Amino acid sequence: MSIRALIVDDSSVMRKIVERCLRQAGMDLGQVQEASNGAEALALVNENRFDLILSDINMPVMDGLEFIRHLKEMESGKNIPIVMITTEGGEKSVLEALSLGAKGYIRKPFTPDQVKDHVIPVLGSQS
Amino acid sequence: MSTHTQAPAGNDAAPFEGWPLVLRDSVKEVFSLMVGTEIIVPDQADPAVVTEVTGMVGLAGELCGVLSLRCGKGCASKIASRMLDVPITEAASNMADAIGEICNMVAGNFKAKLHGMQDKCMLSVPTIITGGDYQLFSVAVGDRIELPFLFDGEAVWIALEIRS
Repeated sequence: MSIRALIVDDSSVMRKIVERCLRQAGMDLGQVQEASNGAEALALVNENRFDLILSDINMPVMDGLEFIRHLKEMESGKNIPIVMITTEGGEKSVLEALSLGAKGYIRKPFTPDQVKDHVIPVLGSQS
Repeated sequence: MSTHTQAPAGNDAAPFEGWPLVLRDSVKEVFSLMVGTEIIVPDQADPAVVTEVTGMVGLAGELCGVLSLRCGKGCASKIASRMLDVPITEAASNMADAIGEICNMVAGNFKAKLHGMQDKCMLSVPTIITGGDYQLFSVAVGDRIELPFLFDGEAVWIALEIRS
């Protein structure tokens, strides 16, 4: 079954790189949607079904941590696995993201293998 | 990849001797992993500064200052092209976004390499200026590390101004 993914990052270049990494990881990607901040992402989660969300933390309008807080309160969003991809890779932000419900954490810069290593187990745990 | 360097204690933000090397490694790592092209430290005279695109990211907290990248428009488009793996003509519209993201990752990578600094310093959203007819005044009065690089033969200058 193809994976419906949502990529949230204020950089369109980074969103494309993340999508490319997912494809290079051999994932069968179906619909891939993009949002440039947490608020846009929440609107998309309201209207679509996703199997995976990859999100940045440091974004304007609504950051990634606030996004997870709202996502986990939504019936349509609370069970979607979310992996953070961000430059904010300190212990404090990692622990905060994980405590809010993130399933994984990838620090920029990253390799396609790192994306694969973090995303595949998360998807596996859903099945 | 490279070793962590001790960050200054307390509010003493004077850069340690090793910081230029940490910054250099941070830049090289970001280009190698995210642009897919090695950026070279020139071994002879510093390349001429071509300021047509400037990217900046602010650092706030225990480490306070501004990280900036300056390069020519052609070079910035080439960087975007490599990041997106598309022809330069297609990548030109993503030039500012790409340079902003490079600045963000270099700043993040740099602070990650300073032991204990990761949680004590926050990054701003990047700002991009196109054009070269401007003067930049930073309130970050303190030390400045400026490093030249060559990307595909074109000059890229990375500077870190640290408020003391």
